This record gives sequence, structure tokens and C-alpha cells, in this order.
Amino acid sequence: MRSGRLGRRVAAAALAAVLLAISGCGDLSRDELNRGVESLSALAAQGELVASGVARDATKSTYARVMAKTLGGEAEHEAEKLADAEPSPEVRAERHAAVRIAGELAELFSQLQTFPGDERHGALVEKHMGEVKEQADAVVARLTGEAP
Amino acid sequence: MRTIFKIALGIIAAIGGFLDIGDLVFNTQAGALYRYDLLWAVVLGTIGIAVYAEMSGRVAAVSNRPVFDAIRMRMGFGLGLVALVASTFVNVLTVAAELGGLAIILQLLFDGPFSLFVVIALLSVVVIVALLPFGGIERLFGYGGLLMLVFVATAIDQSPDWGEVAQGFVPSFSNSTLYLYFVVGVFAAALMPYEVHFYSSGAIEEGWDEKSLKENRLNAVIGYGLGGILACALVVVSGFLFHPLGVQPNDLGTVALPVQGAFGETGLLLALAGMLFCVGGATIDSSFAASYNLAQFLGWEWGRYRGPRKAPRFTFSWLVFLFLAMLIVLSGINPVEITEYSVVFSVVALPLTYLPILLIGGDPSFMGEHANGRISATLGWVYFGVIVILALAAIPLLLMTNGGGG
Repeated sequence: MRSGRLGRRVAAAALAAVLLAISGCGDLSRDELNRGVESLSALAAQGELVASGVARDATKSTYARVMAKTLGGEAEHEAEKLADAEPSPEVRAERHAAVRIAGELAELFSQLQTFPGDERHGALVEKHMGEVKEQADAVVARLTGEAP
Repeated sequence: MRTIFKIALGIIAAIGGFLDIGDLVFNTQAGALYRYDLLWAVVLGTIGIAVYAEMSGRVAAVSNRPVFDAIRMRMGFGLGLVALVASTFVNVLTVAAELGGLAIILQLLFDGPFSLFVVIALLSVVVIVALLPFGGIERLFGYGGLLMLVFVATAIDQSPDWGEVAQGFVPSFSNSTLYLYFVVGVFAAALMPYEVHFYSSGAIEEGWDEKSLKENRLNAVIGYGLGGILACALVVVSGFLFHPLGVQPNDLGTVALPVQGAFGETGLLLALAGMLFCVGGATIDSSFAASYNLAQFLGWEWGRYRGPRKAPRFTFSWLVFLFLAMLIVLSGINPVEITEYSVVFSVVALPLTYLPILLIGGDPSFMGEHANGRISATLGWVYFGVIVILALAAIPLLLMTNGGGG
């Protein structure tokens, strides 16, 4: 009887641990945040390349639009993930910066999606993507302790 | 002269037909993450597929038995059934990945709802197979796949440090589980089981006999060898452009970005068209392979050359596999993720595919004077050892790296 109750408690604790792991709850660690921001930097780099094609009239508009939509979706997803997570106190400021960067990225991809054949817009987005990438890299440097 | 022409056609078809979505994804990601460091794994995989394709083609030409016939004969019904279930599972996943890839490329070219392009891709495959003879299908996708040479031109245009590129061909190892995961992925992408299932059954579709052995050898060695060059080009262009920028190519469209950078819109269109033919060809090859295996194991009439009336169960099963693949893609799973799983799971099925070929290819009582020579046998067993090690490591690495996500 007693061992049955203990077994149920162990099972409940295990289930809670699994649910917690699946739901992704818990504090957002420095490493997890770092990976998220690195993904944002990678997305910005891809966005810069796509936008460069638009700016130079060296791409196909369907390609630029679909790529912008796909990459923008990934940026939005990353923004939601970062915004939902509860950061550990020492990375609160970096988490805030990361959410802002992800939002900016999503907005830039949205512009690229709307104007995939506009060279002037392409050049502007390319420039901003470069700036956003620099911001993301700066956050990564702060998180990894490589910032000057 | 006619023979030379036929051999040349076979080689060209093999070059263009070598790459599939697995090669596109894993080689590009490998270049982005490790620059040129994994080129040796591409070469290792290319030699492996050439060795086993030659062997399976030779077995088919001499004995008129394709791979799954050989599996059932050598392994018996029980183990043969395990091999059938494993390879069918992997083949259906592969068909889903290729079909999804085809839809993504169509979407990049024409823009529109993804699910619509999945249906268009499936219908196009069915119509092409219905209209063209077997050789015509092979040539259409083989020649079209040659457009991938634009990646070789891009690599040359980028002018990387060729010394650094050459260093990538020297095997190197690392303690990083992610690096090991990509070694397995790049190797396995070149050795997907459906490639030999299709190659050996195709040999019978085309009526190969002992006179075709020279053609078989040249197709396997030169065709796959040159196909390996295309795969290396993917690693190089990605390593040159993406690695310094920290790009993580998780989308099929990203594969074509370096070509756009080098040759603008024309280059981009050539790259997308080349990818379309490669992935389209692989959709047909992998779906045919699934039906070949089932029909050969169960003793049904099979073959495109027989037509739907003479091989109805073969034709019906082919349509069912395509339909299942379409359902998987329409379920919303990212085709690139399906690709990664299909490649890694295929590693586990590799020993069950390659051991029977090795045993029959080396059996003089079965193959007579065409049994494996010293070089074939040595290479075959060495590769089998490598395959077994990778098969044991594949799933743990998949779990430890969170599916390559690090």
C-alpha cells in the first residue's frame, strides 16, 4: 500500500519533470539566450544577402519574397520564444535587447516581402540588416564575455 | 560508337542524378558550420556509393537479380522482412522529403501556397512517369541535374584559398558531437539505400547483361565520381560565403544564395532549376525504390517497362507510397527536418542493404568469373565496417545534438 503511494508520487514527479522539459519552462539561461541571439545574427546575415540581390536587381522577386517570408517567420518565432521565456536575472537586459532585435528583423523581412522587386527598398533593408546583425553580434559578445 | 554514346549518356545521367535533397541540405550545412573541414567525408561517401552501386549493378547484370531479390535469398524471409520494413520506412520518409523539397523549389520559382505546390509536384511526377519510358525519365532528370554545375562555376568564381580547400580532403576528427553528427550525415547522404535499390532494379529495367559490365563500371566510377564533385562544390561555396557570416542554412532556398551572389538572377535560376531536376529525379528514384523492394520481396511482377497492366500491384504500391509521402509533407513538418531524419535513419538501415550485396557479389558460385575481385572485396568490407560503426552511432548522435541543432 505504502509502496504503491510512493510509486505514484515518483511517477507524478517524473511526469512533472517531463512536462516542464517539454513546455520549456524554467529560467532562460545565458547559453540558451546566446544560442537564440546567434540564430538572430544568422537570420540577419541571410536577410542581408537576400536584400543585396534585390538592391542589385540580381534576384528573382518570387525567390526574394518567399525567402523573406520564411526567414521572417523564423525571426518572429524566435522573438516569441525569447519573449515568453523567463530570463535569469543576470541576462535580463540582454534578453530585452534580443527581443527588440528579433522584432526589428521580423519588420525588415516584412518590408522585403512586400517590396521584393524594389531596388531602393532592397538597399535600405540590406543596410539595416547589417546594422541589426552588428547589434546581435554585440549581444553575443556581451553574453560570452568577449565584449571589450 | 553507339556503345560509347550509350556509356556517355549513362555517365551524364549518373552525374546529374547523384544529388538529392539530403546532399543539398547536409553538404550546405556542413560547409556553413565547418567550412571545408568535411570535404573528406563527402569523398568517403562518394567512393562508398560508387563501390556498392558497381557491385549491385554487376550482380543485377550477371544474375538478373536486383538488390531485394538478393536480400531475401541471402537473409531468408524473417530477416528479409526486417530489411523490407526498415527500408520502406526510410524510403517513404525520403520520398516525403524529396516531394516537400520539390514543392519548396516550385514555391521559390513561382510563389504561392506550399500545399498547392505539393499537389502540383505529385501530379507532375505521376504524369512524367506515365508519359516517359524508363530511359527517358533517367535522362530528363540526369541532364537537367547537370545545371548544378553552376555551383562548381560559383566555387571557381569565389576564388577561395585552394590550399585551405585541399586541406579539407584530409580526414580530421573532433570531440564535438555536432561535428561527428555531420560526418555521419554527409556520409549517409551520399549512400542513401534507395540509390542502390534503384540502380540495380534500373539495370534490369534497361535489360543489362554481362555485356553491360563495362558500362556499369564507368557509370558507377566516373558518374558518381563527378557527382561527388558537385557535392564538394556545395560544401565549398557554402563554406566560403556562409561560414564567416555565421549563416545557419536551415532552408532549402538558402542553398542557392551563393550562386545568386556570384551570377545574379541568371545564376539563381540555373541553381534553382538544377535543384528542381535533382530533387525531382530523387523523388522518382526513391518512390520507385520503395515499390521495387516491396514487389521483389513479395514476388510480384514489377518494372516500369512492364507497364501498369502487366505490373498492377507494383504500379498501385508506387502510387500509394507517393500518396503517403504527400500526407507526411502536408502534415506541416518542415521538409528539411524530414530530410535530416530520413538521412540519419537510413544509416541504421544501411547494413541490411549492403551486406547481402557484398555477400552475393563475392560469391563465385553465383557470380562466376564476375565475382568481386581483390579491390572490390577489400573496399566493400572496409566500407561495410564503416557503415556498421556509423549505424551504431547515428541515433545517439541525432539525440545528443538535438537533430543537428547543437
